[in-house]
Amino acid sequence: MILLQSHSRFLLQTLTNRVQNLEKGAELDCHWVEFDDVRYHLQASMKNLHILLLSVSLPAPPPETIFFGGLPFGAIEAIKAAYGGLVQILDPPRDGFNLTLKLNLSKLPPNEEKKQAFLVKVASVREVVLGAPLRVILKHLASRTVAPDMDQLVALVHRQNESFFLVPQVDKVTVVYPMRFNDSIDIVLATSFLQEFVEARRAAGLNNAPPCLWSPSPPLELKGAPADALSANAGFVTIVIFPRHVEGKKLDRTVWNLSTFHAYVSYHVKCSEGFMHTRMRRRVESLIQALDRARPDLENSKTTVNSRSFKRLSLKDSRSNSTS
Amino acid sequence: MASTLRLYLTCIRNTLEAAMCLQNFPCQEVERHNKPEIEMKTSPELLLNSVLICRNEAEKCLIETSINSLRISLKVKQADELENILTKKFLRFLSMRAEAFQVLRRKPVQGYDISFLITNYHCEEMQKHKLIDFIVQFMEDIDKEISELKMSVNTRGRLVATEFLKQFI
Amino acid sequence: MDPASRPAVVIDNGTGYTKMGFAGNVEPCFMVPTVVALNESFLNQSRSTSKANLLAQHSAGVMADLDFFIGEEAFSKSRSSSIYNLSYPIRHGQVDNWDAMERFWQQSIFNYLRCDPEDHYFLLTESPLTAPESREYTGEIMFETFNVPGLYIAVNSVLALAAGYTASKCEMTGVVVDVGDGAAHVVPVADGYVIGSSIKSIPIAGKDVTLFIQQLMRERGENVPPEDSFEVARKVKEMYCYTCSDIVKEFNKHDKEPSKYIKQWRGIKPKTGAPYSCDIGYERFLGPEVFFNPEIYSSEFTTPLPAVIDKCIQSAPIDTRRALYKNIVLSGGSTMFKDFHRRLQRDVKKIVDARVLASESRLGGEIKAHPVEVNVVSHPIQRFAVWFGGSVLASTPEFYSACHTKAEYEEYGASICRTNPVFKGMY
Repeated sequence: MILLQSHSRFLLQTLTNRVQNLEKGAELDCHWVEFDDVRYHLQASMKNLHILLLSVSLPAPPPETIFFGGLPFGAIEAIKAAYGGLVQILDPPRDGFNLTLKLNLSKLPPNEEKKQAFLVKVASVREVVLGAPLRVILKHLASRTVAPDMDQLVALVHRQNESFFLVPQVDKVTVVYPMRFNDSIDIVLATSFLQEFVEARRAAGLNNAPPCLWSPSPPLELKGAPADALSANAGFVTIVIFPRHVEGKKLDRTVWNLSTFHAYVSYHVKCSEGFMHTRMRRRVESLIQALDRARPDLENSKTTVNSRSFKRLSLKDSRSNSTS
Repeated sequence: MASTLRLYLTCIRNTLEAAMCLQNFPCQEVERHNKPEIEMKTSPELLLNSVLICRNEAEKCLIETSINSLRISLKVKQADELENILTKKFLRFLSMRAEAFQVLRRKPVQGYDISFLITNYHCEEMQKHKLIDFIVQFMEDIDKEISELKMSVNTRGRLVATEFLKQFI
Repeated sequence: MDPASRPAVVIDNGTGYTKMGFAGNVEPCFMVPTVVALNESFLNQSRSTSKANLLAQHSAGVMADLDFFIGEEAFSKSRSSSIYNLSYPIRHGQVDNWDAMERFWQQSIFNYLRCDPEDHYFLLTESPLTAPESREYTGEIMFETFNVPGLYIAVNSVLALAAGYTASKCEMTGVVVDVGDGAAHVVPVADGYVIGSSIKSIPIAGKDVTLFIQQLMRERGENVPPEDSFEVARKVKEMYCYTCSDIVKEFNKHDKEPSKYIKQWRGIKPKTGAPYSCDIGYERFLGPEVFFNPEIYSSEFTTPLPAVIDKCIQSAPIDTRRALYKNIVLSGGSTMFKDFHRRLQRDVKKIVDARVLASESRLGGEIKAHPVEVNVVSHPIQRFAVWFGGSVLASTPEFYSACHTKAEYEEYGASICRTNPVFKGMY
């Protein structure tokens, strides 16, 4: 898997199963957490098995971002636009959550394809809600306008207590991410990855991709931003989005990719650490083979059946122990 | 740079051939015990002069010998931050599997990145010149692996960025 | 941003299936087969030394390690295309192939659970027979690759006991009969610690029952398409099998009233799409009977399960034996046959009573022993009892202090993962 998918796998699986076994459903009460601290809670009571209550909690917004009534601006409109009348927003939402949706499974469109597409859209509720403000700004970009009474520098929630910044203009939108990582090794790997974004753009075939910049210090666009938003241990990434990147069908994809930028980079940093482990294991194997050659004769080691920590080391046994 | 590498390795090889003359020596302090004297460092008459071979300021090799054991400590070059963490990660990985390598020490000597401990028992089980071959090849392999890991990180970063940017076209 | 305020992630890696989810839930989020389909072509590329196209090969190799699938997707991908090879990272409860296991965890965390490993404490499980080195390697992968803030590796038998709390009162002493898909073990646990020397294992598990049913159906000549026969046998086992109390009586019952006992299986041939149906008869009760009379399946192993349990308890320290008989807990998918626990309890009690009677007659009837109470505990969540036990334990506040943290790992190294103490929340 190279790119992160926009729908929650578990939510889609649960919804599909319940829809297929509408009569045989059981009571349901489960919660789970997704990356960037998005929490979900799904509930179905025995009294009416067709009604599902889905609650979503969003990452805590840093002070510079705007949440109206617990939701990013444009979220309610986006929900209504995506789900129509099939989903009802409950007010107030469940305790501890930002949003509660009531879904009636028996009222779904009868056409199989449309039903499945709707369920996928429900499972992508996170993209709809969190990506709503970004969507509003980019939609304006597609029509080459700027939304009325929009600030010069807009801050949107990216992760828990972290935000990313947008400078919306008529012909382009500049997105700036301050990148922060917890682990020191992650910081170094991520920095080298992010610097590659600049190089990769120069490759042939990517001329139409958005231009990227990386800098260790805050770029000029962030002049008006508050001070603690400007600390970033892996530098600042600037991506410039042009109208051609948000035309038609590309809008959804662009919104998702920009909203989960940090998660994408973090995922690949971890994958490459795993890959390094694979390489290191191979290297250990080849070195132990080299050491084996130093032995003049391979003695027949007495194989014990006990657990390995009691075996006295002969290279043959320790080799099988160390292929790890 | 490659020429100094050859000289460095040849020097280490020659020193090891001279130093690896180990014989069994029961412990003088405690009855019926047999300890690697280089680790104990209690009796100066059992220790030989240690040799420090420097390729440059960043890379050096310390070879300490005693009558029944030999300790080789290496400091590996780290050009930049990325090489630094890759080296640390790789050597920590190897040290955790020290039991499999038998001659590797679980913790490096203070001030160095990785250490070997060779005792007379190892010399009895394994051929001396092959053991020296192993140590020298180990050093070459570490360098090779670090540079390959670094290249793979850079290539990986390029591919990750390409896949991301392709989404916008 | 405190990981302790979020539910912990509980992953139970078994030989056949992996159950993963979040603590505090009743059911795991996902139950996937423990299998990885790897694209092996990149391995040869990374080892080749041809200088030409080195960069191209390198880049294909560097990214091709992300080209793999786990679980059901792995099975379907390996069937549909030949570049993927299936690999089972866990054999007989032990991790065999660490590369595949690391990839498996990577996909489970990022693709299935979709959580950020830096935000959650992790509870993993292991078999009681694993070597301490294996815990070290697990810790290394978890802390270095995924940067988890805390890790606890629990023994699966102890968790299965904890799962039994819903049915019986909290007892940390008992025998766990864990019959999974690949391996079956009888593990005595006293006060939360496994008595390692008394662990007995049986070479018959869920897969063998399925194979036996497949064999019976084939011998009778049922028209099941051959490439599907294993899958059909597995579904038949899960849907129609039950445990009888006496084979001979059961044969008679089947012969007398075939319409009541013989079921129909309807399926669709995959190649032609034509429907077919076949009868399910004796295998309904012969399948689970394999545990009580193994000689009908294989001539190599002939000790029935109740006898193994009895031998296991007899090899445990004498002061624990009564408590062990009183709390025999079932776990694993293959113990979910109807009336399995009743038959097991009856058979074990028979052996125990016979022994007590023999000792009384030896002593001439002067000293009468207290009757030994045999109790087999069964509850509806047996299928993932281990996962459920983990979910219960990881929701207690003491769990977070019992975990090994990343700071400890950085300070002391991977050897801290060798010991995972039983903590107060388990009681």
